[in-house]
Amino acid sequence: MELYLPIAEMSINPIGFLCLGIIVGTLSGTFGVGGGFLMTPLLIFLGIPPTIAVASEANHIVGSSLSGTIGHLRRKAVDIRMGNVLLAGGILGSFLGIYIFNSLKEVGLVDLLITLSYFVFLTAIGSFMLYESLDSMGLLGHKKRTRFYHHSWIMGLPFKIRFKRSGLYISLIPPYLVGFFVGILSSIMGVGGGFIIIPAMIYILRMPTSVVVGTSLYQIIFITAFVTILHASTNHSVDIILALILLLGGAIGAQIGVRLSGKFNGAGLRIALAILVLIVGVIMASELIIKPENLINIISGSNFE
Amino acid sequence: MKNKLLIILFSVFILMGQMPPNIVIDENEKDIKIKPNIAGTEVVLYGVMPSGEKDIIIEIVGPARNIFLEEKKRIYGFWLGLGRADYYKVPSYYNILSSRQLKEIADQRAFDKLGLGLNNLPLGKAKITNSATQQIIFDDNLKKYMIERGQFVKGEGQVSVKSGPGKVGIFSTEFLLPSSSHQGKYFVRYYIFQNGEFISYAENKIDLKQAGFSRIIWLLSKNFPLLYGILAVILSGSLGWLISTIFRRLKLS
Repeated sequence: MELYLPIAEMSINPIGFLCLGIIVGTLSGTFGVGGGFLMTPLLIFLGIPPTIAVASEANHIVGSSLSGTIGHLRRKAVDIRMGNVLLAGGILGSFLGIYIFNSLKEVGLVDLLITLSYFVFLTAIGSFMLYESLDSMGLLGHKKRTRFYHHSWIMGLPFKIRFKRSGLYISLIPPYLVGFFVGILSSIMGVGGGFIIIPAMIYILRMPTSVVVGTSLYQIIFITAFVTILHASTNHSVDIILALILLLGGAIGAQIGVRLSGKFNGAGLRIALAILVLIVGVIMASELIIKPENLINIISGSNFE
Repeated sequence: MKNKLLIILFSVFILMGQMPPNIVIDENEKDIKIKPNIAGTEVVLYGVMPSGEKDIIIEIVGPARNIFLEEKKRIYGFWLGLGRADYYKVPSYYNILSSRQLKEIADQRAFDKLGLGLNNLPLGKAKITNSATQQIIFDDNLKKYMIERGQFVKGEGQVSVKSGPGKVGIFSTEFLLPSSSHQGKYFVRYYIFQNGEFISYAENKIDLKQAGFSRIIWLLSKNFPLLYGILAVILSGSLGWLISTIFRRLKLS
């Protein structure tokens, strides 16, 4: 069975991509991460052009994060005001991200940008997670985990506002900047940015962990929606068929993952995820360094003109 | 369900006892529509030719399209696609079908003289930027990719020739136009050979119109990109919402 992707301009096996959605969905359900940072590299490995992988994955995340947010909203685990501040920064950031993306696309360097961003973030986050989970298991010999405190300069910033659900009274500036930074990443990497924004919420903004995932998902819906529209209107690179197949598979996988996650021990799970993240990062980078099998490749050519 | 569309390109004029001087083909253009997402469309070609010790080669050349190639170069240890070759007149489809192996029909020089065969297929002049590589290298790679993608194919020995009444031969062949085929005019060229010599030629056209969902999506994405982006968001969001509703219901029951 073959399915033709109209924007990626290639025939794929829909069952295979549905399974890919299920596998990544299971991982994201198990580990409580969005899965974009795994899906985009996997799509690229499978031969989807990087620009299309990034844009279509953003489109996929719109649906999956909306699906996830509904549950958190019912449990009142979303700080909407905080989400909106992050979002305001995110929208500006995604404009900048798209601008960088398109400028580098013109000079043929966009694949390098995508790959390097993945390498840097995946190895950094993978190492941090690995360190953190080994540490929490007491394997690194530290007596007690060091606590993070609000730095005084963050407390001293102006434009303070009350975030009721998070129980915080802090300046608008730090969440706005976090949102801005994640917006840039979202448009360059085709990710929701949960893997950046969640640690930032916990360690920089000091939000209670109960509202972190819901708030992150809430703002991701809008950021990825915005990024999808920007990519569609400037690059014509959103493959809606691809996005919907992944979404369908991902939803099934997420349900499996949520059930699985209860059965494993938390720290072991995080070590597994950290190693997975590191592997993906290294494979991504090796594509740039190892001499490619084919030096000449088709980059575009439409079947429908 | 297999969408098998039978296209008869020829009215078969069987003039009893009379040998047609040349190959007989229908001069009219035929319109066919294909629906992407299905494996493709089977096209059947058949007609009448003089019988005897004769061979037929049928060449099908699809409409021109743009294709852009990149060439990876090593810069500061990274392999980057910086070189480019932009083609504007590459046939989107090419097929060569014959009654026997091509090398049994005639030698390469005879084909070269007629401009027949994949080696002689013009790809148009490429605009090469940021690369010292000659076009011929890009051409070879381009052909390789088109073959891999199933857009340049060959069917040597896939035309069957049966002798009809008198000295008339009936040839027939079929091939699959992939669902991703480009729309436009497909030129079909018929060459008759006898004892390694070219003796007769005819041509006609198939007009292919893309139909179906994939083309609509593509047109929307190119012509109304903002609308397309909004639509993509709405579709993804609704499917996400639908899925969460379904799973919630399932859990309750």
